[in-house]
Amino acid sequence: MEDIKINGTLVWYYYICKREVWLMSRKIVADQDNKFMDIGRFIHENSYGREKKEISIGNIKVDVLKRHKGNVLVGEVKKSSKFQESAKMQLAYYLYKLKEYGIDGEGILMFPKERKRIEIKLNDKIIADIKDMEKKILNIIYKDIPQEPKKIKYCKNCAYSEFCWS
Amino acid sequence: MKKVIYIFNDGEIKRKDNTIFFETDDKKSYIPIEDVSDFFIFGEVTLNKRFLSYISQKEITIHFFNYYGYYMGSYYPREHLNSGYMILKQSEYYLNEDKRLNIAMEFVNGSYKNMLSVLKYYINRGKDISDIDESIKNLSREIPKCFTTNQLMGIEGNIRDIYYKSFDRIINNKDFVFEKRSRRPPENYLNSMISFGNSLMYVMVLSEIYKTHLDPRIGYLHSTNFRRFTLNLDVSEIFKPIIVDRLIFSLLGRKMITKEDFEEDMEGIILKDRARKLFVQEFDNRMRATIKHRQLGRNVSYRRLIRLELYKIEKHLMGEKPYSAFVSRW
Ligand code: SF4
Repeated sequence: MEDIKINGTLVWYYYICKREVWLMSRKIVADQDNKFMDIGRFIHENSYGREKKEISIGNIKVDVLKRHKGNVLVGEVKKSSKFQESAKMQLAYYLYKLKEYGIDGEGILMFPKERKRIEIKLNDKIIADIKDMEKKILNIIYKDIPQEPKKIKYCKNCAYSEFCWS
Repeated sequence: MKKVIYIFNDGEIKRKDNTIFFETDDKKSYIPIEDVSDFFIFGEVTLNKRFLSYISQKEITIHFFNYYGYYMGSYYPREHLNSGYMILKQSEYYLNEDKRLNIAMEFVNGSYKNMLSVLKYYINRGKDISDIDESIKNLSREIPKCFTTNQLMGIEGNIRDIYYKSFDRIINNKDFVFEKRSRRPPENYLNSMISFGNSLMYVMVLSEIYKTHLDPRIGYLHSTNFRRFTLNLDVSEIFKPIIVDRLIFSLLGRKMITKEDFEEDMEGIILKDRARKLFVQEFDNRMRATIKHRQLGRNVSYRRLIRLELYKIEKHLMGEKPYSAFVSRW
């Protein structure tokens, strides 16, 4: 397989379902009729209208990027804080990529529905975790077949559920 | 839940603001686009590029039927779910004769088992068709012995010939005798209904394929020549007995369609308008009827079942899980 790149979406799913990471990497995109996908898209398109801007850096896309008191501030909007670990690592990954481009930044996770924000800064521990995660994601992607589906809570609302459980 | 919009009347269909507008001589109607999964157009309908581009953007397919109710073709928006990986896999399984045969066999298995399930239903209701059931079971033993898809097609054809012999005994109506299978043109009422029902099935499966990563031009049982859709023919084999044939038996059994509903035209025996609408309506009801799905743990419609079948094929092509066709249990 050529041209496999890790991106924020894969990082997000890595902490939820490893099977999903594999499927996404093959562009086997999930069912577009799934109503949960629509909700996600809706929130994404309609929240924080004033600040909202999507900017690509290399092969990653960030939601909000602006200068804030001399620092670059990267924002990521999520519909709920249920998957905080995923969200945190995803944003940390963006910061890490920015750093590779020589930009120091801070991150802020936003949960508009819950009116909640979490700040994220890179440190040695997080950077080590990210490097480890990158390797593990590549390991998943390079496998010929995905990990078998395992029923988890997320399956119920997952756009792949009919694919996995048919 | 999105639905299929069937258009029988003549008129003009167009985009109007952010919805669809259908205008006939004496009626105007709005069709909210978010509710539409596909269009089946039977009437004489005028449309323009602006409408098509709107439809493409919403990933809706349009299927056209001619004056006689025959399928003409589809407007299939540029593939939106593109996975180079899946197309490569689909081709790989087509080009490798063993792999291809393997999948084709499963289509035939699903098809004959669903025929048996139709027969079983009528055997339980006292129809004298056990001999046919027996012959099909005997013939089915030849399926695993096939070396080529041509042989397999041969067996499949034989099974179908025997299966159709049950129709006269099930329907038991002298107006609707099977005689022999005649397609174009259908030479009698029953053949006309079978052809019509099968084409609805092909089109429905095609619409579902569009919503997956599969390419409808690469079939396994039906040979691919890249000029026409064949994967939908393959998958339809599984569903035809339980959807189309049952539908025909029920329409005739309840005398909803009689010989007065047909006319003879240059194209053979065709269904008149009223009966065609009725047929389509009943077909749609069947597609929307739900059954309990064990693995998913909830009810799914027959239409959804087609999609799940396609997902199973995708998983087979991925090398993840061997494909096993859907078999109706009643
Ligand atoms: S349905 Fe479950 S197993 Fe399948 S991708 Fe989604 S979360 Fe993973």
